[in-house]
Amino acid sequence: MTKIRRYFPKILLTFLLIFLLIGTELSLLVQHNFLTYKAFETVTNQQNLDEKAYSALESYFKSRANSTGIPAEVYLNAVTQEDMKQGILSSVSEAFDYLHHDVKTYAFTMDFTTLEASVTEFFNQYADKNGYQKDEVFQQKVQANIEEAEAKILYTADTFKFGTIAEHGWLTKLRKFLDIFKKIMTVLCICTGVILILLILCCKGNFSELLYWLGLTGVISGLLISVPCLYLLRTDYFSGFVVKDMQIFSAVTGYLTYLTKTTGLTSLVIAFLGAVSLNLFGLIQKIKNKKQTTAE
Amino acid sequence: MAEHKQKSSLPVYLLTGIFLLILCVAVSIGVLITPYEKAQTYLNIVFMDQNMKIAPSSGLNGLVIKENEIETTPVSDIPGEQQKFYENGEIIRPAFGEQYAVLKCDDISLDVPVYWGSTSELLERGACQASSSVVLGETGNVVIDAHVNTFFADLNRLEPGNTVVLYTNYGIFTYQVSEKIQFLNTNKKYVLPTEEDRLTLYTCEAQVLGTSDNRTGVICTLVSKQFYNPAEEANS
Repeated sequence: MTKIRRYFPKILLTFLLIFLLIGTELSLLVQHNFLTYKAFETVTNQQNLDEKAYSALESYFKSRANSTGIPAEVYLNAVTQEDMKQGILSSVSEAFDYLHHDVKTYAFTMDFTTLEASVTEFFNQYADKNGYQKDEVFQQKVQANIEEAEAKILYTADTFKFGTIAEHGWLTKLRKFLDIFKKIMTVLCICTGVILILLILCCKGNFSELLYWLGLTGVISGLLISVPCLYLLRTDYFSGFVVKDMQIFSAVTGYLTYLTKTTGLTSLVIAFLGAVSLNLFGLIQKIKNKKQTTAE
Repeated sequence: MAEHKQKSSLPVYLLTGIFLLILCVAVSIGVLITPYEKAQTYLNIVFMDQNMKIAPSSGLNGLVIKENEIETTPVSDIPGEQQKFYENGEIIRPAFGEQYAVLKCDDISLDVPVYWGSTSELLERGACQASSSVVLGETGNVVIDAHVNTFFADLNRLEPGNTVVLYTNYGIFTYQVSEKIQFLNTNKKYVLPTEEDRLTLYTCEAQVLGTSDNRTGVICTLVSKQFYNPAEEANS
């Protein structure tokens, strides 16, 4: 009866520690990895998003030339793949500036000086060549064309769709959530620490038993997270993403895969540490038994 | 004695581990089942292409374009050969992105492949038939469009009385231009389904530098349907 009374609090503490460890692990990952500029930069590089975005632009302007008669080169010579990369990363950094309260509103833009000059030059040359009058209507056409091209480039460069997220008010909600999230993360870390200390106190004088409970915590919490992650990766679930625009598809699925891989890997490391801890417990128990047998 | 103690505690440790694992899995499922059920509809929409996991490449956005060899010289036109035609016959339904017809009009030297469905990629390859319109051979409005700077550059030269022929792998469909049309791109009057057999061809209004909101085209009435295979054969 006494044994059960001693055993039960340890089971309860381990049970709590498992979920607290999962919560702490996930919150730390979100705060220090997933919602950072670095994570999006990694995905941008891994998925060659600049190349895909530029290719989408090429395809759009070439197709558009069929209905407007404006050669795609007018736009494409003014925007490079490097510009697209800067644009993509700029959209991300703008979003994080907003999330971290560095700016009041999310406003993503790019430098279009070259593009404006290129389009204006083309229109002027066309007008001169064909005797087209450069009146107000002409200027309006030039301006409308520049604005349309700029909007398309900005839309294409915003591969992670922060613009759309901000437009629907979700970025503001995310900013508010992040403010609370920091507090939640702190609470989770403190709770995990408290439960851990309580478990250590419960196992006072029996280090090997502490290893057992910690091992169980690590293995179970690791498995609870890594198994669903492995399932998602194994079934290639994210490839079923419905938006097939090449750069958006790669950005979204690439980011989700990055999240899943990082979470799965971290959980596997925790599970492995748990397994090591359990093995140590077994080893210590064996040595203890041997010593006792020898003493007898 | 100690060995006995160790032996007896080993199953306890094992069972505790298994018990905790089962308990945690059960709790996790219990806690997550309701949010999952709520999110399931959205997840099914966002990741709906589970059966067709095509990672988009070369800018086709998952579109599968299929080119077909379509005979535009009927066998009956070849000396010594006879081709029997049927007024009602077997229709081969095309897949989205598939070239399923060739549009010809000798009056304006028009010879364009027609694709089922309309996307910018398909419009670069030829004329596109709206997938909301009826397949050639069925009764209703067949709506085909193409770019004004490429395939339909001379569409405005079509005049009432000109003949337009559409060749498919299951038959030949001949139309006659009956009316020239002009409409705003927001006006769906000419692209809506109709009860009578009709062919609507349209393109953007040619404009200097820039796209136009106006559309121009022609309405054609059906002259003849010539199927290669009878409908009964298809049913059997």
